[in-house]
Amino acid sequence: MGMPAVAIEADDLGLTFAPASAAPTVALETVSCRFEPGRVTALIGPSGCGKSTLLQIVRGFLDPTRGQLRFVEPADGRMAIRPAMSTVWQAFNLFPWLTVVENVAFGLDLAGVPRAERDERAHRAIAAVDLTGFEDRYPRQLSGGMRQRVGLARALVMEPEVLLLDEPFGALDAQTRLVLQEQLARLVETSGTTAILVTHSIEEAILLADTIVVMTARPGRVAARIDVELPRPRSMATTRDPGFAALFDRIYGLLRDEVMRAMVSGGASA
Amino acid sequence: MTETPPISNKTAVAPPARPTRSLLDDPNVLGWGSIVLALLIWELVAWLSGVSALYLPRPSQIVVALITMFGSGGLVVDLAVTLWRIFAGFALALVLGTLLGLWISTSFRTRAVADMFIAALYPLPKVTLIPLLIIWLGTGGPFMLTISFLGAIFPIVINTVLGVSQCDPGLVLAARDLGANRQQIMRRVLLPSAIPSIFAGMRLGLGVSIILVVAAEMVVGKTGLGARLYLAGQILETEQVFAVLIVLAALGIVVTKLQDAVDASLSNWRTD
Repeated sequence: MGMPAVAIEADDLGLTFAPASAAPTVALETVSCRFEPGRVTALIGPSGCGKSTLLQIVRGFLDPTRGQLRFVEPADGRMAIRPAMSTVWQAFNLFPWLTVVENVAFGLDLAGVPRAERDERAHRAIAAVDLTGFEDRYPRQLSGGMRQRVGLARALVMEPEVLLLDEPFGALDAQTRLVLQEQLARLVETSGTTAILVTHSIEEAILLADTIVVMTARPGRVAARIDVELPRPRSMATTRDPGFAALFDRIYGLLRDEVMRAMVSGGASA
Repeated sequence: MTETPPISNKTAVAPPARPTRSLLDDPNVLGWGSIVLALLIWELVAWLSGVSALYLPRPSQIVVALITMFGSGGLVVDLAVTLWRIFAGFALALVLGTLLGLWISTSFRTRAVADMFIAALYPLPKVTLIPLLIIWLGTGGPFMLTISFLGAIFPIVINTVLGVSQCDPGLVLAARDLGANRQQIMRRVLLPSAIPSIFAGMRLGLGVSIILVVAAEMVVGKTGLGARLYLAGQILETEQVFAVLIVLAALGIVVTKLQDAVDASLSNWRTD
């Protein structure tokens, strides 16, 4: 945040797990796409298309077996160093033995940020996700929606240049999802961070993203790249915009074909 | 609200108090009360039957023996010596066992090596090591420390490994994402995850340490509760035998209750 952001380029990126004792598994076929700095890109596609794998490669937790991942200066295309990244997880992954504020301050503590600054930043992040007053609760004392807001605060407090959202609302009920989607849309709009959102929800992708990358099922490739021109700030009211409906239909059309194909080929291989 | 029938003032009246019933529902009252009752019956039976105190001393005689032994007989020293032997070896086992467990959990090679040693040594009754340890270490402090250590270390190592293996891999990923290095992951994620399991290992280990130290004292000790117990038995001081047994039982109660208290405070470590 505040720093000149870098673009992330996936160039023919692919990953095949080849264990010695079993047949190789293609986790990601060949994907080329670009994540623009300061913008939200949604990756949407059928299960098994490798969108979470792509996210893990971008994060640096998985190494691609094909192609290249590059970080480049948007102005002149020069190579840049890996930007600071934080992830929000579908399963929340909060530390159950730490309180809300200790969870949020965990990364700052690891980085050796002095206590006063750590507390100040943690409390600010907790306030940003409307959890003030719950600092000393333990995760098990919170609802699913509140837990994921802690997860969001824990990622945002690190002031990442790139925010990775791995199906962040996948484990939540529909109503909680709606509220959190609006909240996340607002946070992302104000922070100006680069974000990559992996999701199954077309609605979520349209509400949050500037660009939607639709991926195909096995082999995982990019089927379409769609810019979302709807005005911001977006909220539930946006879903009644005719532009929203048109986009929704277009993405649904692409995905339906892909899901059908995935079901057929998945059934054949299984 | 207007449709709500007026609530009769029956609900406002407190249910009739039943003090006798609630007293008998209190587990503390039941627990201690039954012990007192058993002692009274014992006292009565021993007194009325006229059985020799050599076989069955009365509780009142045992209490007198206990007070005498504490007052002038050096039982305090014996208790302190035994506690020191138990907890010195146990503390060493806790530190080394936890570290070893973490190492085994995070290193494939260490695990392969340690698996064989644990499989060979864990089921071995540790009392069978007493003769060998005496040959190597004599019967002094190092021997007692080793025997207590050996009693506690296996359950602690095994439970640490078990606890770490049950750690949610998502938590390790989350910690890596927040910038944790390998050592920080061990200390800040794997170790806390394993704490309930490590504690279960400590419970088991401490029990074995107590048994082994008292048994070793009975065999070779000149001081300590076990030595005192054995000696009293040899000279048919039955009151003293009972007195030492009471001290050992009291030690057991204190240790168990302390562990229960720690267990209760571990609730934050449990995921949902």
